[in-house]
Amino acid sequence: MLNINKTVENGKAVFALEGRLDTVTAPDLENEVMGSIEDVNELTLDFAGLDYISSAGLRVLLAAQKKMKGRGSMTVTNVNGSIMDIFEVTGFSEILTIE
Amino acid sequence: MTNEKKNGKIRAGVAVNIIGAIVILLAVFGVVVSFIGYASFTTAFKEEYAVSTYHMADTATTLINGDHLDAYLAGDEAEEYERTQNYLDVYCKKISVSLIYLIQVDRSDYGRFVSIFNSVDNSVDDSTYTPWELGHERDTTNDEYRQKYEALYAGESAYETVYRTKVSGGVHPHVTTMVPVKNSSGEVVGILCMQRPMREIHDAQRPYLRRVAVSTVLLAVVASVFAALFIRRQFVKPIRKVANETARFAKENTKGEPLRGISRYRELAALAESIDTMETDMVSYIENLTEVTAEKERIGAEMTLASEIQMNSIPNVFPAFPERRDFDIFASMDPAREVGGDFYNFFMIDDDRIAMMIGDVSGKGVPAALFMMVTNILVSDRTYMGGTPAEILEFVNVNICAHNKAEMFVTVWLGILELSTGKLTASNAGHEYPVIKRADGSFEILRDKHGFVIGGLAESKYKDYELTLSPGDKIFVYTDGVPEATDAENNLFGQQRMLDALNGAADETPEQILNNVRREVDAFVKDAEQFDDLTMLCIEYKGQGEEKNDH
Repeated sequence: MLNINKTVENGKAVFALEGRLDTVTAPDLENEVMGSIEDVNELTLDFAGLDYISSAGLRVLLAAQKKMKGRGSMTVTNVNGSIMDIFEVTGFSEILTIE
Repeated sequence: MTNEKKNGKIRAGVAVNIIGAIVILLAVFGVVVSFIGYASFTTAFKEEYAVSTYHMADTATTLINGDHLDAYLAGDEAEEYERTQNYLDVYCKKISVSLIYLIQVDRSDYGRFVSIFNSVDNSVDDSTYTPWELGHERDTTNDEYRQKYEALYAGESAYETVYRTKVSGGVHPHVTTMVPVKNSSGEVVGILCMQRPMREIHDAQRPYLRRVAVSTVLLAVVASVFAALFIRRQFVKPIRKVANETARFAKENTKGEPLRGISRYRELAALAESIDTMETDMVSYIENLTEVTAEKERIGAEMTLASEIQMNSIPNVFPAFPERRDFDIFASMDPAREVGGDFYNFFMIDDDRIAMMIGDVSGKGVPAALFMMVTNILVSDRTYMGGTPAEILEFVNVNICAHNKAEMFVTVWLGILELSTGKLTASNAGHEYPVIKRADGSFEILRDKHGFVIGGLAESKYKDYELTLSPGDKIFVYTDGVPEATDAENNLFGQQRMLDALNGAADETPEQILNNVRREVDAFVKDAEQFDDLTMLCIEYKGQGEEKNDH
């Protein structure tokens, strides 16, 4: 179960996620993000409501990161402890801008 | 057929029911028609009889001299009386009536009368009347006669009629018509009655009824036959065709002769058409289903084979090195589906070095499995070629990134253990922290240096780290399927439970340790579906000394 709250304004897009970002829900996020960041140069992923991220979710982050590269910035905010652990374990903490 | 037996209440066919209804209707119709016909027949007959009898009676009154009635009663004018009586007798015979009689009614209450003339002809109606004599007195038969007498005396009507159609005791149906007899000054002085048999009514009744009955029956039979033929042709046959076709279809499941056009009636045509449509739909549905099922079976068979290939691409026979005393290794892999994205591998690079690796591809199922196979082969082959784990992972990362259109990635922990010295060189590409147990301690998370996942970025760099194992030390590596095993309430197994499970069997063999973890995970997850691939590897370093001191 994943709720995605999307707000796009003046090239700034914020995706507030709630629930679990796993194999089942990752494709939803991928479609949402890839479908609406064409004209976006500031992408923010708000993880305040996110409980869990699986490798499929990490893959979406990586894909989004690659897409934003050279066009603007991507920031992940409000990352909770357990997800931060996952970021650190997988090395994602090194490549993502986490605030 | 079975339904018919089960219900036991299936009525007779439509044709039988409808024909029965037609027969009953026609019978009722026949009775009603007979009754109405008979009633109007009788009424018309009676009317005709009354009128013609009136004319006869009226004619008879011309034979009578109304001025002399009292004289006749007094015994005078005997010759004229005689002559008149004779005329009436002759007339009576001539016109075939049973009785002609002339009476004078007591006008005080019309309750009695006295007979003047009386002619009888018993031959007409097999009757047994005896003529009344002149002056024979009698009570008026009943009130009906009384009223009619009164009406005639009052001059209210030209004639009156009394019918006797329902009779018994040898008396036959007859009509009695009464006409007034007047004297020369126009006064009513007597009443002439004429009784005429109505045999014809009685005689006509039976043939009439028989004719009506016979024609009704004939009509009913003809109508039933026509109805039966009509129903059979127009309804029963089409319905049977539909029934046969559906029965055939249920058995053979193939498209039959189209039913369209079996009937020109809207309802049956609609039924036929919907059956045709149903058959077409069902056939294509069945074909579809067959195809899908065959496809599923094929995929199923392929997946089984794929699963076998995958499981055999990694060492899965234990003990893997029964001749080695200096270490013990055990590993397990349980994909959530037939094939998985996890892998482990270990092999001797040479007599002194064992390589161990564990990996986890992002995602699950077939794509992850293909990615896992590639990664496993690349890592293994490159490992044989020499170099440190970090060098190997860098090489693998570059190669995978070059062909990674799907943007998948894989986490890998790779370690090379020098058995003669216990020196472990390892590198971690975004994989879970290893767990280490020193010979005299308990299992603890080893927060090793982490690189980025393999396949993510081509420019990723990896670092080696070294640690020295002493005899009795154990290393446990795993994929996130272990700490992230999830129960029905979405609770994670977690790192702490994993450590507890490891320490619960800390001094056992690697195989027992893994079994214990697996048991604990299963107990935690209970009936919830296994969500992720679950893979573990454990090595116990025993060292050279151990080998020498082995009992």
